[in-house]
Amino acid sequence: MSRLAEAMEREQPAPRAAAPVLRVSDLSKRYSADGPPALSGVTFDVGEGELLAVVGPSGCGKTTLLRLLCGLIPPSAGAVLFDGEPVQRPPREFALVFQDYSRSLFPWLNVSRNVMFPLRGAGLARAERIARAEAVLAEVGLHGVARSYPWKLSGGMQQRVAIARALVSRPELLLLDEPFASIDALTRAELQDLLLRIHSGVEHRRVTIVHVTHDIDEAVYLADRVLVLGAAPGRVIGSIEVGIARPRTQTTTRSSPQFLAVRNQIHDVIAAKEATR
Amino acid sequence: MLRRVNLAGWSFVLLVTVLVEAGVRLFDLHDSVAAPSATFRALAEGLSSGALPGELGTTLEAYGEGLALAVACGVALGIAIGSSRTLLDATSVVIEFLRPIPAVALIPLAILFLGLDTPMRRVVVAFGAVWPILVNTSYGVRGVDRFLHDVARTSGVTPIGRLVRVTLPAALPSIATGIRVGASLGLLICVTAEFVTGTGGIGAYMHQQQNAFQIPELYAAVVLIGMLGYLINTGLRATESRVVFWVGEERLADR
Amino acid sequence: MAASVARVGRPLLGVAVFLAALAVWEAWARSKGSILVPPASSVVETAWEVWPTTDFLTGVGASLRRLAAGFAIGAGVGIGLGLVMGSSTRARRALEPLVEFCRAMPAIAIVPAAIVLLGLGDAMQITVIAFGLCFPVLVNTLAGVRAVSPEVRDTAAMLQVGALERIFRIYLPGALPSIVAGLRVAVSLGLVAVVISEFVGEGEGLGRYIRLQQTEFDVPAMYCGILFLGLLGYVLNRLFLVGERRVLSWHYGSVGEGVGR
Repeated sequence: MSRLAEAMEREQPAPRAAAPVLRVSDLSKRYSADGPPALSGVTFDVGEGELLAVVGPSGCGKTTLLRLLCGLIPPSAGAVLFDGEPVQRPPREFALVFQDYSRSLFPWLNVSRNVMFPLRGAGLARAERIARAEAVLAEVGLHGVARSYPWKLSGGMQQRVAIARALVSRPELLLLDEPFASIDALTRAELQDLLLRIHSGVEHRRVTIVHVTHDIDEAVYLADRVLVLGAAPGRVIGSIEVGIARPRTQTTTRSSPQFLAVRNQIHDVIAAKEATR
Repeated sequence: MLRRVNLAGWSFVLLVTVLVEAGVRLFDLHDSVAAPSATFRALAEGLSSGALPGELGTTLEAYGEGLALAVACGVALGIAIGSSRTLLDATSVVIEFLRPIPAVALIPLAILFLGLDTPMRRVVVAFGAVWPILVNTSYGVRGVDRFLHDVARTSGVTPIGRLVRVTLPAALPSIATGIRVGASLGLLICVTAEFVTGTGGIGAYMHQQQNAFQIPELYAAVVLIGMLGYLINTGLRATESRVVFWVGEERLADR
Repeated sequence: MAASVARVGRPLLGVAVFLAALAVWEAWARSKGSILVPPASSVVETAWEVWPTTDFLTGVGASLRRLAAGFAIGAGVGIGLGLVMGSSTRARRALEPLVEFCRAMPAIAIVPAAIVLLGLGDAMQITVIAFGLCFPVLVNTLAGVRAVSPEVRDTAAMLQVGALERIFRIYLPGALPSIVAGLRVAVSLGLVAVVISEFVGEGEGLGRYIRLQQTEFDVPAMYCGILFLGLLGYVLNRLFLVGERRVLSWHYGSVGEGVGR
């Protein structure tokens, strides 16, 4: 049996108990009529409260997939279903965090106003909105920066603000596009743990997370399940359960044999795909 | 430089033309606004009779010479000022003093010095156009990546060689912008000078038609000037993108 | 130590060269005695006499009034159209040829038509001024809107920002640095348009004053009129920069100083 098939045989996804919150079926995207497809026949589910990581080499369409999931671009074929309804425009219940935090925060607003922005039109009094923003900023570990402008903050802090802005409206689904790729390694570890805290719903109910990353170790550290995409065209070549108990820590989890096993498995899947190309 | 024809845009232009035509006819505005059909006819007549090309030639003579002078002085001085911190500091106050003076305001003075004809127009065009060229050239030269300079120096290029082969090409985008701004300013100055003195060129022709209440001929001249401005601008941009081929489209936007 | 000496020394060098140039002008003018090149001292003397007079100042006030009116209209139209064209591809493509044509048209070209339609008074002059400065503002607004980052656009989409709200709460503030740069250029162009419209129009004004001195052959007075105009342009530009810095403090911080001249 090929290594790829062997790898896939070893880990089968456990049957989902509840209906999936996000259902992707046969999703394809082609940017030009006669060009190659960016994504082809992608099918997977995301369960409620699940933290799904999506990994793959560059050019495998991870960002395209995320934009399709958010409804920012229409698919060429297939569908994305959220709670059973097809996603045609960005749903209110979704929130998106970008890799380039400096270009996603509104530079003309200070931190507090940036974080408050999603709450406009929610019928809340101004004082209430400010209070909520402060609360969320505290959740992500930021204090006393409300009046500052984004450019004054470090990269890690800016990304925290972006995450705070994403969380303030209590989204059901949080999507992140390589959010820690432009952050230094030490801060990255802190932010990864922040994401785990958010996911565990310490402050409020559990949020479903789709986390795109090129860092396989990060994916295994964070996720319940890792979706592996192959390149050119992008399609699912693996769906691997992580199965490591929570809570997880940078030190013990990352050196555990289980961690290494899953991580190696993913590397194998990718390598096998490369070999068969 | 083939671009897909902007159907929406040209349809809109057509729509506006038709509406103006209808409006002029319906409301009998012939005394103040020329119908597009009359304008077009006057334009065709003027061009074929040689009247318009003649005036255009006169304009282009003063304009072209003035602009050439401005480019030569502006680029040369701009390079000198941009390359030397001392020179930059020394000339800064004088330049800041002379630069805000609108060149058109100098037309009456220039008339006293040089008369009403081409020499006067040439000089005023040059004075007006030189400032954006000089300032942008100096800015471009100063902004050249120090790293590029260091690379050139370590590869044993002489200072003159450095200037020609590193500084100039790197400053070209800014210089090009300056020339483009100077060119449109120069056209404005030239036509204004002609309009005010009435001694020749398309500006003077325009004034004559206005005084004689020859409305279609007036509008024909206006359209011609607009087309001239458009051609100069488009031509410069095309040359720019060919000469400065390594720069992306956004960089060439107006400063 | 050397650095601070240099810092003080630099503008001083500029001033020194300027004063030296003035001295050369003075000496040359006195020795030549040409009526067309009055010595700097006589220009300053005339300025001292003329500038504070009510006649002169009323003229200046009239010019500034028309500039302000033309600026308000031209900038308003320019920003409005720029925002519309920036937010809607359809609008941009539809208006593009017309805008490109009008943009290349020198302001003087619409003067005779404006005179025929509106006469020689304020209405014509303000129209010419508005036309003269509208297009740089439009172009800069459009460029500013298009420069808004894809991440901001996507965030706006995710945050359910509607079309109208997008224009006022995202594109307008996002394009503000570019818009303000365009407005600054518009002030200088507006002054040029003021002079042009006053050359041909009626009513008081600085441009008219200069033209008048030409016919009166009062050369020092002409010089001092031109000087005032230059000074006015410089002061307006400087005031604009100060205002810009305050309004755009968030922008200067994020991209650093030296944004455009």
